[in-house]
Amino acid sequence: MKFKAFLTENGVTLLEKRFLPALEKMGKICHLYLTRDHAMFLHNLLNGDGIQSIAQFRKEALFDDYRISSQNEDRIAFTIDVTLLQRAVRSSVSICSELGGSGVTANRLQIKLVKKLPPNCTQPMPFLTFETKGYKSAVIQDIPISKPLSRAQVLELQGALDMAQDLPQTLVQVPDLNQLQNFVDRLKQVGDVLSVSISKYGDLHIQVSTTMITLGAEFRKLLVIGEKADAPSQDQNLSAQTRSSRSVARGDAQTVQVSVKHFAKSLQCHLTKPDCAFYGIAPLGACLTVIFQFFIPGSRQTDKSISLHCRLPVLDPGTG
Amino acid sequence: MSSSAMEDEAPDVVCQLEHVQGLVDALGAVRWKRHQDAVVELSEHGIILIVEESGCLQAKVYLKRELFARYDYSAHGRRRFGVSLGLLVDCLNAFSVPGQSSLIEIQYPGPDMQVLLKKVDSLDVSIYAEIRTRIPDTMPWDYNFEPAGTNPLTFTVRSAALKEAIEDLEWPGSSIQIILQPVPPSVTLKGEGHGDLQIDLMYYANTELLGAFQCDHRVSYKYKYKFLRATTTNMPSSVTKENRGSKLTIGRGGLLKVQHLVTIGKLPSSHAHVDSVGYQQPGRIAHIEFFVKPEEIEDSE
Repeated sequence: MKFKAFLTENGVTLLEKRFLPALEKMGKICHLYLTRDHAMFLHNLLNGDGIQSIAQFRKEALFDDYRISSQNEDRIAFTIDVTLLQRAVRSSVSICSELGGSGVTANRLQIKLVKKLPPNCTQPMPFLTFETKGYKSAVIQDIPISKPLSRAQVLELQGALDMAQDLPQTLVQVPDLNQLQNFVDRLKQVGDVLSVSISKYGDLHIQVSTTMITLGAEFRKLLVIGEKADAPSQDQNLSAQTRSSRSVARGDAQTVQVSVKHFAKSLQCHLTKPDCAFYGIAPLGACLTVIFQFFIPGSRQTDKSISLHCRLPVLDPGTG
Repeated sequence: MSSSAMEDEAPDVVCQLEHVQGLVDALGAVRWKRHQDAVVELSEHGIILIVEESGCLQAKVYLKRELFARYDYSAHGRRRFGVSLGLLVDCLNAFSVPGQSSLIEIQYPGPDMQVLLKKVDSLDVSIYAEIRTRIPDTMPWDYNFEPAGTNPLTFTVRSAALKEAIEDLEWPGSSIQIILQPVPPSVTLKGEGHGDLQIDLMYYANTELLGAFQCDHRVSYKYKYKFLRATTTNMPSSVTKENRGSKLTIGRGGLLKVQHLVTIGKLPSSHAHVDSVGYQQPGRIAHIEFFVKPEEIEDSE
């Protein structure tokens, strides 16, 4: 089992400034799953009822000189502490800039998988090692990682990943992530369960309701991807709640309940500076999905080498 | 605008307000703990929100009808309902978008006696809320504030300085003595307990800090620290930024009245200096009053 690659400058920026801060909010520990073509950061795919987050990079988006080999179709997966990873990347960046001046190529940042015997241990342990080579010196940082996943576990992870790729039939574009985040932060003060309705007309309706208070927001005429329909004119002047329940009854909308905390967490992904975000409800209300899109810099074209989406587990109406 | 159901029986009050953040600030100023019940009084003159604690502390927020972009009152006399102050403030906060003013409509009662709130300035984004109200179990207590003698005992002090002084007095102990004396004209705040701390505000030393001083005889009263602190603990940052003053008056029996002014909405940019008591544009100011009962009567007369 071998893995060795050089992080590109672009890759370092992408991780340090955008993705790692967001992924850290999703949870401290994640799976790093490496294949021949992709590197993926996966949260909560195998365990628990937390929010699932799937960040996938084509190897060219982060690395050059990418070499991987394993007896399991060149696939390697392990768990890693995102905070430690972020710290290592950050200090490598500062070392690079300190050592800089001798040309960019000299300060390349290599990462590789190693087994080392830590002090006071009898058994070698796996590490992800960052090596920053300067003109005269090199700095090495070892991040402890879990034992690589077994063949069966990798298959299970791949299975969960395949399962997590199903697209909602209707997706609506969130108009202003900051505004929505601001609102949801306020909602957190009021209640724990958020009901989310999404219609084919381009309505996104979120609401917290307790015995004391109901607080909600409705965003209308949003851009719809997938199945869409024209909003019936007689629904124009209704209250948001009535409109939602009518749309659901007509089969043009779906409603799910999720944890307000999960929803707020999913909005933390705006730290990755996406160019747009879409919410949708998976078929049969299995989960609430949010998909972030990244454009090729300076264009309106989707950058297919980076993808990020989250899946929020749906609460049983009984537990609300 | 409104649906036909509403027209059948008009609600007691429908009002619209442009600057939600100002309302959040004003109501937040009387929120000294997480869970507080408030009584809201509606009349043709505006809205008053009242909060009380232990029969010793009362706070009132006056929102005059001039503060509102629209204020329709259709009931006769006064209407009163109870509501959780925390929920009301948290909820109003959700309507406040940083850097933007948004027009909200407040209506009472809803079909189930709720307070209804909704954002009304955009067709494509609507924010709405319904807050349960209750019938207040007790009438707010009337403090019946009367001047202590023929001349009022009163002074104004920079709100920020008052807040700072009260914060500094946290360390010595549980009760704070306030002394007003005519010679030399000064106000003293004194804490005794784990050590002593005395803060003297001298009228002639700094007229910027202490003003409108009126006192014809020496008075001294003790107040519970936690009640005094409640009067400044959540003072909105706008009060400090605008360099406003607070007015303190000691009434009969040592009853202390503390008054703050909170700006609702932006001040016009032309304006450079705010008079310490801020008599510009009363329509943009919410008045806040705290009444604190003294602990025990000392040499008052």
